[in-house]
Amino acid sequence: MKRTLLYLAVPALCLALFILLSATPGMAHKAKHAPEQLKAFDDVFMEQVRIGDLLFHGDAATEKKMKTKLSRTGMACAMCHPFAVDNHPHEFPKFQEQINKFSTLRDMINWCIEKPNEGEKLDPDSDAMKALEAYIYWSNRGSKLDPGRH
Amino acid sequence: MKEQEWKKEEGGTQGRHDEKSGMRNEITRRTFLRSSLIAGAAAGAAVNGLLPFIQTIEVAFGADSFSFAWISDSHLYPKTLNTRFVEKTERAINEVKAMKPAPDFLIYGGDLAQLGDPVELDLGAELLKSITVKKYYIPGEHDWYLDMGDKWMKLFGKPNWTFDHKGVRIIGLDTISRGPDYWSAKKMSQQERMGHMATLDGSVAGPWAGVGRDQLDWMSKTLSDWPKDKPVIVFSHNPLYEYYPPWNFWVRDWREVQAILKPYSKVTNVHGHTHQVLYNEIGSMRSIGMLATSWNWPYPPEGVPVLTTPMVRVDPGDHFDGVGWSKLAMTAADKVNNEYMMWRKDVFAQTQVDSGTGDNTNQILSPRFADRP
Ligand code: HEC
Ligand SMILES: [Fe+2]
Ligand SMILES: [Fe+2]
Repeated sequence: MKRTLLYLAVPALCLALFILLSATPGMAHKAKHAPEQLKAFDDVFMEQVRIGDLLFHGDAATEKKMKTKLSRTGMACAMCHPFAVDNHPHEFPKFQEQINKFSTLRDMINWCIEKPNEGEKLDPDSDAMKALEAYIYWSNRGSKLDPGRH
Repeated sequence: MKEQEWKKEEGGTQGRHDEKSGMRNEITRRTFLRSSLIAGAAAGAAVNGLLPFIQTIEVAFGADSFSFAWISDSHLYPKTLNTRFVEKTERAINEVKAMKPAPDFLIYGGDLAQLGDPVELDLGAELLKSITVKKYYIPGEHDWYLDMGDKWMKLFGKPNWTFDHKGVRIIGLDTISRGPDYWSAKKMSQQERMGHMATLDGSVAGPWAGVGRDQLDWMSKTLSDWPKDKPVIVFSHNPLYEYYPPWNFWVRDWREVQAILKPYSKVTNVHGHTHQVLYNEIGSMRSIGMLATSWNWPYPPEGVPVLTTPMVRVDPGDHFDGVGWSKLAMTAADKVNNEYMMWRKDVFAQTQVDSGTGDNTNQILSPRFADRP
């Protein structure tokens, strides 16, 4: 349950809050949010979505910058999941047959990196993983939460 | 709950079962085409209805029987990068060669190469050499946008053509070469142009799939001396109807194409590009989507034709799953059959949970944006 919430929270947003907090200690959530602040939060999030989009589409420069090797077959995620279709972020966590265990979206991202892509698995808490997750969630926003669905 | 939903949909489709041959609930990899369903068939894109049986349509084709094979969408990379697509193409080729009796001809339906690289196209031509029956080629977008078809045409000739075979007029259409210029103003390199074209869900290449006024005129002329009640088969890379434009699962001038074909009562379109099981009817035209040898595409969240019996969900751990080629036949009993040669036992989904469209209504997707200026 806690985990679900964690995966739903936008990681980048936490980052922005943290930055804000350190700038004005003790002020977060006590003062009203100015439009510029909200825009700043959104910018942080959309920047992660953008990076995730590039990684998901196999952008070589971004891969190099993030020091990732998401595929060794020449195939990027988007070649099998255009618009992040069939990533089903709203269905996690769930029992995943392929891994034969109760799995998170991050587990399944790593599985596709390792199996069809023959790439190098990501640290589940790495920046690249969070960016991929941001892109997949953003692309599927509006889909009804249905955790556990096969 | 989910089971009930499935049952309900199954119940709603009983009228389409083939009572005579007792095929209720029996699903095979074959698509029998019979004319009995043409009346009242849905046109254009509609919500998919998960039909748990095979499409059956009788066609009074009056043609001699013959068979032919289709291979497409091999998306070959240079062997140095990966050989899995080579292996799958070879498997399809070997199976075509093993057909007994041999097919009258092979159609290669486009996307032989992944990035239009001459190395990739040469590799494909080399692999296909071992098929000795007559071969006809139409191009895919992946073959074309590096050098705008130079290499492809050197290897395979004209991208559109026509011939008559045993009482059938056969037309090969080029649906890919007339993409509006998205590269000159942005001063793209050839590789950049190809890269955007090769990104199915990209936003830069735009609605590139089309037949074009000149080719439409050529098509009209080609058909002008053909009797309206005699069979026509049109081969194209893209589907000739509006399926899911955001992924260019269409040709943008499909209405003009349909207007030309409308007077002909026995038209079958066989297309590639969508990498999945598809079936549709537009007016009197039947349209069958072919498998890729390379990889399969999930169904988009909307627009799957109601007449399509969806294929199964694919196992991402097995790159031979969900792909293959097709045996097609025009039979003496005046039927056109399509047999999907997918490398697995069940091709069509028997239940919603195993269906490639099973999750469709539960997915809301957004176009990407990182490739926009
Ligand atoms: C060769 C094709 C292919 C490639 C490349 C690929 N995947 Fe997959 N992926 C699949 C298939 C097929 C499924 C199973 C879909 C289903 O069960 O409906 C899948 C499933 C998934 C799922 C789980 C969906 C679910 O509900 O079970 C996630 C998440 C995922 N892929 C992410 C990725 C990411 C991230 C990449 C790139 C690193 C990637 N995939 C690359 C084919 C591919
Ligand atoms: Fe293709
Ligand atoms: Fe294509």
